[in-house]
Amino acid sequence: MKVYEFMTTRLESVDSGKSVYDAVEKMVDRRIRSLLVRFPGSDLEDGVITARDVVYKVLAQGKDPQKVKVSEIASRPISCVSKDLPLRDAAELMERDGVARLFACDGSRIVGVLSMMDAMAAMLILRARGEHVS
Amino acid sequence: MFLKKLIGHEDREKEVVQDMDDHIRLLQDGCRAFHEALEHNDHNRMRRVKELEREADTIRRDIVSHIYEGAFLPYLRPELSKFVELVDQVFDLLEYAAVCYLGIRFPDSLRSEASRVAFLNEEMCGMLRITLQAMTAGEDLREKRLAIRIYEKRVDDLKFDLMKDARAIPIEDFWEGNMLADFLSRLCSVSDLIEDASDHLGVISSIIK
Repeated sequence: MKVYEFMTTRLESVDSGKSVYDAVEKMVDRRIRSLLVRFPGSDLEDGVITARDVVYKVLAQGKDPQKVKVSEIASRPISCVSKDLPLRDAAELMERDGVARLFACDGSRIVGVLSMMDAMAAMLILRARGEHVS
Repeated sequence: MFLKKLIGHEDREKEVVQDMDDHIRLLQDGCRAFHEALEHNDHNRMRRVKELEREADTIRRDIVSHIYEGAFLPYLRPELSKFVELVDQVFDLLEYAAVCYLGIRFPDSLRSEASRVAFLNEEMCGMLRITLQAMTAGEDLREKRLAIRIYEKRVDDLKFDLMKDARAIPIEDFWEGNMLADFLSRLCSVSDLIEDASDHLGVISSIIK
């Protein structure tokens, strides 16, 4: 099973110049925990902002989310892997790098995101198919 | 194990189980043809779905006849028949979606997401077949059924996005819009019925135990 089979292809994003509050609104409305942060240039210049970033870097520090720009707290560069990477390898990468999501790329274009939940679901399907490694 | 536990005439039951497996395999072939046809806008391949549905219909009739001619213990026959009917209903949905597709100019803006749903439907059929095989081998179905539910949830997520995108498409002709809506509705309902079929295998498995 490859990353593209289980990634989420609909990428929710926010421009790097927007405020953290704009990002938070989007995350709440869409019920998601992270957003791709679009920086000028190619997709590989993009970053990611997570609920964890918002809490630790802004709210918990008493900063005003309307005054902090997304670009100030976004993590860059993003972890990008080939969409054709086997899922098992992707899961190993997540563990090795301590990241909860990997962006799937087709060349220099981001085409999807594989979250920890996606990876877990895919692994459970592999188990059900009898293809897991014990 | 399943067969040994339940039957008097083993050959007859084996034949039915083989036919049930073939029935789902045909459904999977149909879903694959549908997925490829949708992805590449290949009308000839989409017509293949109708042919496969007819083949599957013949197998369905054979299975039900064999069951009521005496295969399996009587209390299991309605449950097995219901399972076969559920698989048949999935095929009906798929065929109707194929007919709708052939009758409209499908918007390219929906193709990628719709193809993804079709791909997941195909994968679900594969998992349903694995579930049936596991049941006939007397194995626990818990993990197989969870895998099917996972697929179903993913289709559900895509369904809302697809419907949202569809609403943005300008419709000039009522019937064109109606058929597009029918197409999307059928495409996204396939997974619900496969999940029902999988749940029914769970019921049969519980009865056997």
